[in-house]
Amino acid sequence: MKQSTKRTMSIGALSQEKIVFAITVAMFLIFAVFLNGFLGANNLLALLRSVSVLGILGLGMLIVVLGRGIDLSMVANMAISVAWTIQLVGNGMGLGPALAIGFAFALTMSLICGLLVAYAEISAIFATLAMSSFIYGFGRANLITGTDVVYLPASFGWASQIGQGRLAGIPIPILLAVILAVLVYLFLKLSKHGWNTYNIGDNATAARITGISVRPTIVLQYMLSGTAAFVAGLITATAVQSMNTRIVNSNMIYDVILIVVLGGVSLSGGRGTVRNVIVGTLLIGVLVNGMTIMDIQYTIQNVIKSIILLMAVIADSVLNPRDEQTGQQGDI
Amino acid sequence: MTTPVVELRDVTKEFHGNFAIRNVTFALHPGEIHSLLGENGAGKSTLTKMIAGVHAPTSGTVVYLGKEVHFASPQEALEAGVAMVFQETSLVPSLTVAQNLELGNEKPLNRLRGLYISAQQFLQSLSFDVDPTALVSTLGAAKKQMVEIARAVRHNARVIIFDEPTATLTPEEKYHFFELVNRLKAKGVSIIFISHALEEALQVSDRITILRDGELVVTDEVSAFDRDSIVRHMVGRTLSHAIHGEGTPRRARKAGTRVLSAQNLSMGSMVRNTSFSVFAGQVTGVFGLIGSGRTETFKIIAGVLKRDFFHGGEVRLNGKPVRYRVPRPAVRDGIIYVTEDRKLEGFFETKSIAQNIYSGLIGADLNKHAVVRYSEMAELAKTWTEKLNVKAIDTDSKVIELSGGNQQKVVLAKALVQKPKLIILDEPTRGVDVGAIAEIHAVINDLAESGLPVVMISSYLPEILSLSDRILVSRLGRVVEEFSIEEASEEKIMYAAVH
Repeated sequence: MKQSTKRTMSIGALSQEKIVFAITVAMFLIFAVFLNGFLGANNLLALLRSVSVLGILGLGMLIVVLGRGIDLSMVANMAISVAWTIQLVGNGMGLGPALAIGFAFALTMSLICGLLVAYAEISAIFATLAMSSFIYGFGRANLITGTDVVYLPASFGWASQIGQGRLAGIPIPILLAVILAVLVYLFLKLSKHGWNTYNIGDNATAARITGISVRPTIVLQYMLSGTAAFVAGLITATAVQSMNTRIVNSNMIYDVILIVVLGGVSLSGGRGTVRNVIVGTLLIGVLVNGMTIMDIQYTIQNVIKSIILLMAVIADSVLNPRDEQTGQQGDI
Repeated sequence: MTTPVVELRDVTKEFHGNFAIRNVTFALHPGEIHSLLGENGAGKSTLTKMIAGVHAPTSGTVVYLGKEVHFASPQEALEAGVAMVFQETSLVPSLTVAQNLELGNEKPLNRLRGLYISAQQFLQSLSFDVDPTALVSTLGAAKKQMVEIARAVRHNARVIIFDEPTATLTPEEKYHFFELVNRLKAKGVSIIFISHALEEALQVSDRITILRDGELVVTDEVSAFDRDSIVRHMVGRTLSHAIHGEGTPRRARKAGTRVLSAQNLSMGSMVRNTSFSVFAGQVTGVFGLIGSGRTETFKIIAGVLKRDFFHGGEVRLNGKPVRYRVPRPAVRDGIIYVTEDRKLEGFFETKSIAQNIYSGLIGADLNKHAVVRYSEMAELAKTWTEKLNVKAIDTDSKVIELSGGNQQKVVLAKALVQKPKLIILDEPTRGVDVGAIAEIHAVINDLAESGLPVVMISSYLPEILSLSDRILVSRLGRVVEEFSIEEASEEKIMYAAVH
């Protein structure tokens, strides 16, 4: 028994979250000392603001990954639902109804993802990848007319403050990211569905036998990730006055997975908290901000980010080994 | 007397301090069919796995063809001529029959046509009617067995071990199988045959060895046995009588109301038209050998098995017909199933003891507050770990780090917090240490005393006899016999369970 405590402690001492957090702090200090202008209040706010969208998407992804799933349709959902909203407003619809329709679209798409994974039992990676293509293709063909880029009309009104405004000197995207982080934290920590999400990710069969409604909970997870995608999309669009639907073809979805896995959330489900996502987001924020100040080329930034992702995934498999076979043996 | 092909000399095999095999000496002669009989867990599989290189003996020696051997793997044993045909076949389903025959012997480049022709000739030489180009996944159980056997023969096996080969076969397939076994025997191959089917063993064997609790009971020519004497040898344990306080006659607890009744329940080939009842305030023991459908029967009742496989029949809970497609409504109605495989479907391995127990409460919607309350969880965990005497540093320890007995207690606690109105315990003491077994048995008795209907599925006869008030014996997917504890005996139960 004593031995087992020791083992837990040594794993605790090595946890990926702590490693990543230490790296973040180290990089922060190095940049603060050697990079001119890094430590300025404006740069730090810009840093946080630049990763707030990523962080919000990461919160949605966290919920799905905890349930042993993955949502590759987030970026497509975000781009198309918000682009359609903007288009509707541009066509003369009121802001309220347009926002409601856009949000309903995002929820419907994520509902379909959830149904495919939970009820049709298609593996999450294929179901959401296919849905990503479907959402983008359907949106471009049927919802959004004209070019890839949908520009914000003047009638977007107060909503354009979401990406641009400040409250008490702090940019609203940062505030939104913080509020959502608190909400997701409370959902996971205090709600039954959050509790069940962890159990389903840990052992879906055991969860089912325990009387947990596994399938509806999985659908809920995807719908929450769809909600995160819509909020992230609104921030993106209002910050730059437009929604470029080609973002679906970028590697943004990998960045989302990057911050989730980097912070120490296990892709095998059941392990991770909001704190992990925050740590992962901060690392990417500091890294990208520093590299931008140092004027490192975008393509090289991608190389560096991808190497970090690989290292994070390797660390995940070493620190959170999951041997599915051990459960299947045992015949003496 | 010829020298034996395989000899085990005084072998012992220990798993984590439990003896699976203890000081067994065994000899297999050339060209004989040797049946290995015993209850579930008697050590038949372990014994043969030591011959086939799956397990290494803890002590003692394995002698093959007069030389001491230490096979490191089944592959090595196969190359030396010892083949084991497992219960679950070891073929690759997505490859063809010919490719499977060649498995492990592939040349760097294979021409499929050549492969098929040589496989065809080979299968014909064994007069096996199997298409070498067919995918293994499309074959029936018997044909898969044939391919397994062909693979063994192809490796010039001199010893072939069959682990429950006939359990999945139809009568006609069985007939072909035994024809084949006799042909192999004529070629001088020695065969070990593990089975629960006593008639078959009596029909085909030359000699029979019976194991009980990991020890050798008797080895003799088949003519020295009949069905009755085999059953007596399989169950006649004196040691365990003392442990389980048996021998002191026990009176059955009085039956309460009829809580559960099943009428003509069926599911595929696993559960066939079975009917039985369960009463309040009693332990209903369910005994059956592997493949008797006892677990499946109760998994249907608790909604664990999906309705896709449900083929009719009626289940009544307190007189009201119920039909659960998922466990959730069953759990809310108070039917709690405690699994036989706690690691696979019992507990949450990344979670603590407290979290696991509290998950039971949440799963049954019995938590007092709308949100998760950590004080409620801690209190619940404290109450139940004390009640069931779970030994751990504290309730924040991970379940995966506990011993089997303590894990089982946590799974039991998780079920009991759900306020069961009918509890189904599937092998409640499998992989549990002796001390914890006694504690779990005491809990089961208390549950019945408190008026709860308890169903206890077990393949361990002393457990059945020391706890049950009524005993249902399951065979081939149905409850075939019912005993009250007063009239039951190990012999009678075993007699009803074997076919």
